[in-house]
Amino acid sequence: MLRRSLASLGMTNTSSRHPEPSEASVRDRRRIKERIMENYLYLIPALPLAGFLILSLLGKNLSKNLIPVIGAGSVIGSAIAVILLAIQYDPENPVRQILWQWFSSEDLSVAISLSVDALTIVFLFVITFVGALIHIYSAAFMREDRDYARFFASMNLFICSMLLLVMADNLVLLYLGWEGVGLCSYLLIGFWYEKPENSRAANKAFTITRIGDTAMLIGLFMLFQEFRTLYIPDILNNVSQHFESGSATLTTIALLLVGGAVGKSAQLPLQSWLPDAMAGPSPVSALIHAATMVTAGVYLIARMHGIFVLSPEAMAIVAIIGAITLIIAGCSALVQTDIKRILAYSTISQIGYMFLALGVGAWSAAIFHFFTHAFFKALLFLAAGAIIESLHHEHSIFKMGGLRKKMPLIFYTFLAGAASLAALPFITSGFFSKEQILGYSFGAVNGNPILWVVGITGAFITAIYTTRLMVVVFWGEEKTHVSHLPGPAMTLPLVVLAILSIAVGFIEWPHNLMHVAVFSDYVQNVLPATVERENIAPPLVLQGIAIFMTLFGIYVGYMNCYRKPIWKANNYQTPLFQSLRNFWFKGWLFDDLYNNVFVKPFLFITTVNRKDIIDKIYTGISNGASQLHRMFSVSQNGSLRWYIGGVLAGILIIVTIQMIV
Amino acid sequence: MSNEQLLALLPFMVLAGASIVVILMIAARLSHTAIQVAGFLMLCFTVLAMGYVRDILPQEILPLFIIDGFAALYTGVIIFSVGVVGLLSYIYFEEREENPKEYYILLFLATLGAAVLTISRHFVSLFLGLEILSVSLYALIAYLRNRNNAIESGLKYLILAALTSAFLLLGMALFYMETGSMEFNAIGQKLAGSDPGVLFKLGLALMVVAIGFKLALVPFHLWAADVYQGAPAPVTAFIATASKVGVFAVLMRFSLAVNLQQSEFLLNVFSGIAIASMILGNILALRQQNIKRLLAYSSIAHLGYLIVAFLPGTREGIEASVFYLFAYAITILSAFGIVTILSTRMKDAEDLSVYRGLFWRKPLLAAVLAVSLFSLAGIPLTAGFFAKFIVLLTGANYNLWLPVIVLVLTSVIGLYYYLRIISTLFASAPAAEPRHKPLHPFFHFVTYATLFVLMVMICVLGVFPGPAIEGIRQFLMIR
Repeated sequence: MLRRSLASLGMTNTSSRHPEPSEASVRDRRRIKERIMENYLYLIPALPLAGFLILSLLGKNLSKNLIPVIGAGSVIGSAIAVILLAIQYDPENPVRQILWQWFSSEDLSVAISLSVDALTIVFLFVITFVGALIHIYSAAFMREDRDYARFFASMNLFICSMLLLVMADNLVLLYLGWEGVGLCSYLLIGFWYEKPENSRAANKAFTITRIGDTAMLIGLFMLFQEFRTLYIPDILNNVSQHFESGSATLTTIALLLVGGAVGKSAQLPLQSWLPDAMAGPSPVSALIHAATMVTAGVYLIARMHGIFVLSPEAMAIVAIIGAITLIIAGCSALVQTDIKRILAYSTISQIGYMFLALGVGAWSAAIFHFFTHAFFKALLFLAAGAIIESLHHEHSIFKMGGLRKKMPLIFYTFLAGAASLAALPFITSGFFSKEQILGYSFGAVNGNPILWVVGITGAFITAIYTTRLMVVVFWGEEKTHVSHLPGPAMTLPLVVLAILSIAVGFIEWPHNLMHVAVFSDYVQNVLPATVERENIAPPLVLQGIAIFMTLFGIYVGYMNCYRKPIWKANNYQTPLFQSLRNFWFKGWLFDDLYNNVFVKPFLFITTVNRKDIIDKIYTGISNGASQLHRMFSVSQNGSLRWYIGGVLAGILIIVTIQMIV
Repeated sequence: MSNEQLLALLPFMVLAGASIVVILMIAARLSHTAIQVAGFLMLCFTVLAMGYVRDILPQEILPLFIIDGFAALYTGVIIFSVGVVGLLSYIYFEEREENPKEYYILLFLATLGAAVLTISRHFVSLFLGLEILSVSLYALIAYLRNRNNAIESGLKYLILAALTSAFLLLGMALFYMETGSMEFNAIGQKLAGSDPGVLFKLGLALMVVAIGFKLALVPFHLWAADVYQGAPAPVTAFIATASKVGVFAVLMRFSLAVNLQQSEFLLNVFSGIAIASMILGNILALRQQNIKRLLAYSSIAHLGYLIVAFLPGTREGIEASVFYLFAYAITILSAFGIVTILSTRMKDAEDLSVYRGLFWRKPLLAAVLAVSLFSLAGIPLTAGFFAKFIVLLTGANYNLWLPVIVLVLTSVIGLYYYLRIISTLFASAPAAEPRHKPLHPFFHFVTYATLFVLMVMICVLGVFPGPAIEGIRQFLMIR
């Protein structure tokens, strides 16, 4: 298909006669290049969609060797397409492809159209590339599962929806992708549906994110009411003429969008679903609940930045949400014992950093942190999955231990990811991205020292729990026997991700140290530059403090866990500390809070209204209808004279009415 | 009569020839199969003839007929319905009746009657068409004369039809007295400008009886359930589709010619009839256990819906009604097709218990029936939904709020009994009965294929109604 279109384009090129390379022919060539890209844009989401269709329709009949070929192959295919697209991409000319008109009704006209700019490419790259690695990993990880095909079908559908989400250029299509990823998240959290707690976790995730989705939907309605369009570029271009800065309507819209983002990205107050979502298989946690879907909220806010720029209140709220979430989740991560829950809380906390960055207007820094986080967190989840599988599905870190010697490859890759998570200075990608966020949380116009202090504290906590995780799992005595080591299909993605976790940081240095800013240059056409305050503390001092806090956190973690295992030491046995630990362990008791405030009153109302009062109306109608049926059935008595009587009565009535009138 | 006029009548002549061909074939003692095939070919020739004469339309054959796009559309629906009915008839009659052949004479005669109605522009042709249709139907309904209800229902239809025909004749006489003409257009011109006299109104009221009887509208509906139940299943399908299409076509043409909808009184009478039909039809069907009777009541309700599209008396109304009739014909044909194919030698498959768990035994048939019931109920993505929707739209555009509201409310009631049957289809299956080997594998296959095609048509019309609407519009331009 592609080749054919290339050939046909080649023909048009020769037929348009330009004997020597004039300016026009250069322009021509560029135009043709664009057209090639436009021609295969649809392939990016279409390949995983095709994979989904094949696997879900024929899944039961396919052999175990063919399923991963289709499942992973489709994602690898779209990853290749994305890379080709990225190579050809010209920042001056964002690409757009209108596939077909979805529906149109008066003002609202919605096309199935894809468009690609730098922001989208960053997301596309992460989704397809990390997605492809995770699919390769899953091919080995899920091989023994009964529902091998169902797993890949859901994963492919997820990739397709997520790609639609980031490629959509109107909010309706974006919302389709948004709900699609929510659906797939639900399906995959509850993948092992036979265990009731897994289904419950899936329901919880779905319900809580629905709350955010509803807010977002209302936001979309309001946007349409204001702009009479849901085409994103039109909204962003017109917003500044349409509204004054700080307009109440705009702030409401922005906050409703934040509501959606908060639900999807597991931020306060809708964060409580993500730790339970770890019930899904580890590749799912890596792909959906670390690298891609949970960052959809970040994408949404970044995509709609034009609205947020004009609403300082909404920006401030986003920053505050991020700041509080990162601390709360960090504290919870400190005391968890389940390896995946630690990583889940850490994800919430890291997305908190992204929200903080968005809130202070450091758009590119937020996206950069998303970029690095996707690699190292996916790596950590995949490595954790490998460990869990090798240890007979053991999740508790205190039953692991001593894996450094037993599983050296996992150890080194995990170390790379953990170092990046802890933001070990200068050699890890996490450092570069987090450093930017911390710097801007102080230095940007919307930033302030409090946010910075919170961020630094978060970095300190991150370093502690990361070190604790590393030390407990990999050092000390072996507590559970390692049954087998993961094969090459699982280790290869780990190695690639480990290299990337270290390396991708080097494309963006703190600007006072070295002038390398590949990433922010790349997205500068899409996202506004961060405005900085003047007369603030020299960045070097701030960076020094941040580095010191990280190293200090690592030291504290090391001392506590390696020297004397932390929770066994006597000085932590006081009741106060125990209750604090319990409080953190249960995620600051948000579940209990929501249970008492929302669930129980709701259940109470439903119990009171067990014999639904409103239902009475409907049962009344149906009883009345049955009654009428019985009455009129009498008329159908089969007697001919009665029928003739009916006809005559009819004509009499009509004639009588006519005479009267 | 010019050549072109004669040519324009070609399809009707082919149709009339079909009966004669069948008679001759019976005389030559040819087999049922041969007659079936020949009959089907004659219908195909009719269609070809319609295509052939299309370019010379419209043709007016004074004073009796007018052949225009309007007539072509309604005739098309009739021919389509009869084609399906004919296909369904083979197995049904082959298995039940030692003399199945004469059936086809009557069927084609009835078709001719219905088709003549669509082209008549004169009371004489109207009456002739109606009587050809009715007389054939008397015999068709009672065709399986050994059955319990057959003669009874045939007689009921005969007596009631005769009674209402008498009213029709009286009505025509009154018209003639008032206007001195029996031509629709002439009557319309006489009436134009002047306030219609009392005789005219009375005549119309009497005609309403005859039309209401044929369309089974309340309060002239009482025969419907008994006749639907007593008649052989393919004949029921014919009554439900072809005969009603023909009568409705002539009603539409007449009312357009005399500007019937201008008269507020008559508008109110028809609204009242429509409302009563919608309510009573649906309520009577509510707890009905016999599927043929249930479809009879459902057809009463559906004709009520159709009258809502008739009320405005505009082009849109005609478009909506043609589409509605077409969608309704496909749907009801597939429903009766299932009844036909499931019927046993002794008894039609009319009891709901026959359908219990059908899906687990014969998934294709259950799917066809389910789709057709969904379409009758007006569930989106089926032809029935869109048909009901454009009827609603037409009604709403002309501020016919009361009928429109009743339409919506009674549709909800209707949902109950359609869904009741559908849930029966999927109920747990009774013990599987031994599979009979089909007696006529080829016709068995053809019947199945026809039903499948009907199901696909229902879905396609529901999803892409645009081309069909466009086609209807183009035909209506030929006037």
